[in-house]
Amino acid sequence: MGETVGNLIGLNDEVIHPAATLAVEAHNSPSKQFLVKKIKIRHDYSSIVVLAFSGSLLPEDWFGQPPFGKTEIDTGKFPSLTSLNDGGDAVVNGSFLRRFNDVLDKLSHAKELKKAIEKKRQVVFSGYSSAGPIAILATLYFLENRTLSPRCLTFGSPLLGDRIFGHVLRREGWSDYFTHFVMKYDIIPRIMLSPSSTEQEQILNYFKSKFARKNINPAPPSGFYLTVMGNASSVASYEACHLMGCRNPSLDIIKSFIELSPYRPSGTYVFCTGNGNLVVVKNPNAVLQILIHCAKLGESNTAEVEKRSLDEHSAYLSELKECLGMQAVVSLDGGPATATLNDLGLSPQAMLCLQAAEEFENRRSRNLEKIRNCLEKIEVEIEMLRKYKENAQISRLGYYDSFKLQNEDDDFHANVSRLELAGIWDEIKEMLKEFELPDDFEKKPEFIEIGKIYRRLVEPLDIANFYRHRKDKETGPYVIGRGARPKRYRFAQRWLEHDENKPFGSRWESCFCAEVEQLGIDIKEKGYLQEIKDRIHQLERNLIAWIGDESLDDDVLLEDSTFVKWWRDLPLECKSESDRIENLIRGKADRL
Amino acid sequence: MLATFLSSTPVLQDSWRLCSLANSAATVVTDHVRGVAYVAFPGTVMPSGGANLVALDGAPDGLFPPLQHRHAQHQHEDPPMIHAAILDHFRSFYTSTTFHNQILAVIEKSKAVVMTGHSMGGAVASLSALWLLSYLQSITSSLPVLCITFGSPLLGNDSFSRAILRERWAGNFCHVVSNHDFIPRLFLAPLPSLSAHHPHFVLQFWQLLMNILQSDSETAKIFGFLLPYIQEWVANMEEECVESPFSPFGNYLFFSEEGAVCVDDAAAVGKMLELMFTKASPGSSIEDHLKYGDYTEKASWQLLMRKSFTLGEPPESSYEAGLALAVQSCGLANQESISGPAKDCLKMAKRVNRLSPHLNAANLSIILSKNVPYRAQIEWYKASCDKSDDQMGYYDSFKLRGASKKGAKINMNRCLLAGFWDNVIYMLESSQLPHDFLKREKWVNASHFYKLLVEPLDIAEYYKTGKHLTHGHYLKNGREERYEIFDRWWKGREVGNEENNNRRTTYASLTQDSCFWARVEEARDWLDQIRSESDMRRSAMLWQDIDSFERYATRLVENKEVSMDVLAKNSSFTLLMEELQDFKSKTQQFPPQFPAFLNGEMVP
Repeated sequence: MGETVGNLIGLNDEVIHPAATLAVEAHNSPSKQFLVKKIKIRHDYSSIVVLAFSGSLLPEDWFGQPPFGKTEIDTGKFPSLTSLNDGGDAVVNGSFLRRFNDVLDKLSHAKELKKAIEKKRQVVFSGYSSAGPIAILATLYFLENRTLSPRCLTFGSPLLGDRIFGHVLRREGWSDYFTHFVMKYDIIPRIMLSPSSTEQEQILNYFKSKFARKNINPAPPSGFYLTVMGNASSVASYEACHLMGCRNPSLDIIKSFIELSPYRPSGTYVFCTGNGNLVVVKNPNAVLQILIHCAKLGESNTAEVEKRSLDEHSAYLSELKECLGMQAVVSLDGGPATATLNDLGLSPQAMLCLQAAEEFENRRSRNLEKIRNCLEKIEVEIEMLRKYKENAQISRLGYYDSFKLQNEDDDFHANVSRLELAGIWDEIKEMLKEFELPDDFEKKPEFIEIGKIYRRLVEPLDIANFYRHRKDKETGPYVIGRGARPKRYRFAQRWLEHDENKPFGSRWESCFCAEVEQLGIDIKEKGYLQEIKDRIHQLERNLIAWIGDESLDDDVLLEDSTFVKWWRDLPLECKSESDRIENLIRGKADRL
Repeated sequence: MLATFLSSTPVLQDSWRLCSLANSAATVVTDHVRGVAYVAFPGTVMPSGGANLVALDGAPDGLFPPLQHRHAQHQHEDPPMIHAAILDHFRSFYTSTTFHNQILAVIEKSKAVVMTGHSMGGAVASLSALWLLSYLQSITSSLPVLCITFGSPLLGNDSFSRAILRERWAGNFCHVVSNHDFIPRLFLAPLPSLSAHHPHFVLQFWQLLMNILQSDSETAKIFGFLLPYIQEWVANMEEECVESPFSPFGNYLFFSEEGAVCVDDAAAVGKMLELMFTKASPGSSIEDHLKYGDYTEKASWQLLMRKSFTLGEPPESSYEAGLALAVQSCGLANQESISGPAKDCLKMAKRVNRLSPHLNAANLSIILSKNVPYRAQIEWYKASCDKSDDQMGYYDSFKLRGASKKGAKINMNRCLLAGFWDNVIYMLESSQLPHDFLKREKWVNASHFYKLLVEPLDIAEYYKTGKHLTHGHYLKNGREERYEIFDRWWKGREVGNEENNNRRTTYASLTQDSCFWARVEEARDWLDQIRSESDMRRSAMLWQDIDSFERYATRLVENKEVSMDVLAKNSSFTLLMEELQDFKSKTQQFPPQFPAFLNGEMVP
């Protein structure tokens, strides 16, 4: 105790309530797309600029194509929002994305923002209810642009993105910039866990008439609680099964019979317990469980809870005014504190789910530790292969070709090293695919670096092995982005590309030999088509660039290597960089 | 937790709704809800026939081929058997012409199929689901199938359950059993005692029960009539429980007033069936058979309720807490004498190994990489044999190997790899690996290459040690089950379009049919037999076999699907072919006109 929300989420406390006020105000003024306000902070005389978006209660602004209205995010605007391990692009609610796009033009020209950038002021995007997702997307947009480092505060916001979305926020270290306030029974933050239905439209209609006629209370709809929460609890129990390591095959079979919402919480959640306490939760799995469990029926009857779930959506201002004054804030990270959880009214079953969520995080760090311990072993094997490579250079053949011939004992030992390394990297790959490693694993410099070294040194051996056995006849060609190329190399390549901000599929220097082999085969089968000539030219340009920046080792230029023999046999009209490459080859020969 | 998930989904309620429709209409009813097809079987039809078990392989119409298929290694077990009357009952649906059309029509326009039924209907639904799964397997379709039964009787014996586990179909079955329902427990009491006391007990019983379902007015009368029977049966059951030839399969979802638990371990299911019944009364055991509707509806409500502990002190660990919750969900928490055993039983069901399947899979790739050097050594061995001067190829070199260190090492590697792959298969069958494991190219490819490389050595070893003389030929009698399993994996993988139109231009690095050498050995045996065969008819048959082998081998060689070692100068294949040509030319005066033989005409 004693900590304030601001401390826990890294933002000055004085800004939270004004931001909430502005958010509610903006939500109810649909004529303006957003409102801006400068807030002076008393103790250090700085100012924070708050920008709040307007909301909408039209069903088409919430629910798109049934059942969930999901759409893949536009990676042109949000290049980071994609998985680096084959999980695809992040999925978000299409209606919210559309509304963000509508406001983007005006937003990027807002003079208040330009001024804030100029004066290096902290910017906070804020949104209440359906404006929450817009605030999230705006914050992300500027984080991607790197022009600003904004924060995001939402109040009673519906869910926006899927698991990948949350994964990316944590991978990039942005998760702490997003704070979502949620009332214990508020139905809106849970509404997206259920497929779109007439009940949800009833809820929106209710709020519409409530906001329109401020004094008269319209009759609340009924029956929606069971639908929404029933579906939401399917999602929660499905995730809990996974957290608890349930391995009954039925789990996934049953999943194909129902439609589970793809949306998951991301960022930091602050739950308002309703009696003046606030609970801060960062673990996304725990957030999901609390979202469902704390809104469950207690002793009181359904109608009462149903009414409460509507009323609390419009109670943020009064609730926050109370809580923020007191310092009754508890963080849940680092173990559930029983007293607070009683405030949330969690059942023993919910506690189990929370423990499982925490245990899952612990397991991920343990897995990371395990992989760290493997690093040493990886380095030993890499060192062995390096020596092998040096020895092979003496033969004027290069290690690619001598490995392909497999004539010596050394070649055999190199093969064993290659296979052992493949085992370790495949384990890493499996863990990444199943989210069994911390979300920021792919951003850790030590792994990006070892991945780079590993890929450049060992992948040529895999390629040699592949074409030695002519596996292209069985599994199709060794293609850079898909097909027979092992995923461990694809992953390592994407880490590097992401780290260097390069487009995906640009750093394929380790596949150089594969392209040479494949071109050789294709020429035999198809002749010198224009498409093949283009590929040759591309290869030549890449070769010069990669030899230049030393990302490709120059032993491909050895006189007897596959590449040199193949390239020299090409008809002259197919080559575009004949002289420069000939020079490179000669240079290499002179150095030996 | 799985129970919570299941009851939170609309699948259970939708199934029950359709089941009651089917019960009152007394026919098969189908429906579509959100793209999922539901097929419900009526539980109202009385079964006829004996109350004993019949073996599946004896079935004349060859139902459920994958379950019938038993590998040589399982010969000593009982054959899979199921309840005769129920099988007959299923046949009455199965043989009707509308059945196939109805089901196929349903499949066509839906993304998933639920088979469901109450009481007897549940048993029929299980068999129909098995039939559908077999059918889908034969056309390599991956349409999800789920079978949900309500108060269904036990169906088959232990081998039957295990056959289902082996096919990895157990997860497709969910049997809902309410607190005291006695039908699912009916066959737990030994059959002889049951039928000895009341020869027509079972039959009568069903008839009466279904009458209850149909009319409310007579309920009281029938109830009174049934009670004594049930009382006696309950007494019987308490005396001689679980010594039953029947064994449960799939998941069991137990409903009580307090909640639900889901158990999939067969032994634990048997125990739970018994434990939850201890407080049953004859009245409640009938009532519970009929009120599944209440249970399913209540379950979805209960989810949204906040449950609290009725037990005094909070449990120490989360593991204990989970168990206590589960016991409470069975409605057994307040019954001192039973809650202890129930806890043990659920503990057993939870299994000790708590690593998740995905971690197991990740871990397995480490173990694979440790085993890969053994394979690499065998590859190395193959290459060195292929190049050596005796030009025999690695099959014959291994078969004729002396007491060389190299040969012994390779043989050792062969055994180590076999152990590794057997373990993988075991883990897969006991669902310790992810459900989509077989969709991962890496594992299917690895097993395939392993098979192509190592099986020839197994064959060589088999014929080297002369096992074919005592056990018969390899293909029928000696082939390890894992190779057959790998064959199925390889066949079941998703094949891209680009692969099939590639024609080989060089010989494959490994012969694409791993049983090639076994076929060579058999052909050699036939040739030897012909030499000593005097009976024309027999030798004609042998010629026919040899001819088909020759065609098969030529096709393989022409398509370059064999590896170089097959064509080595001194390989037993080359020798065999030479000998065959030689023998043919010697027997020119008796030209083997194969087509003529095929027509049954003897040419002198």
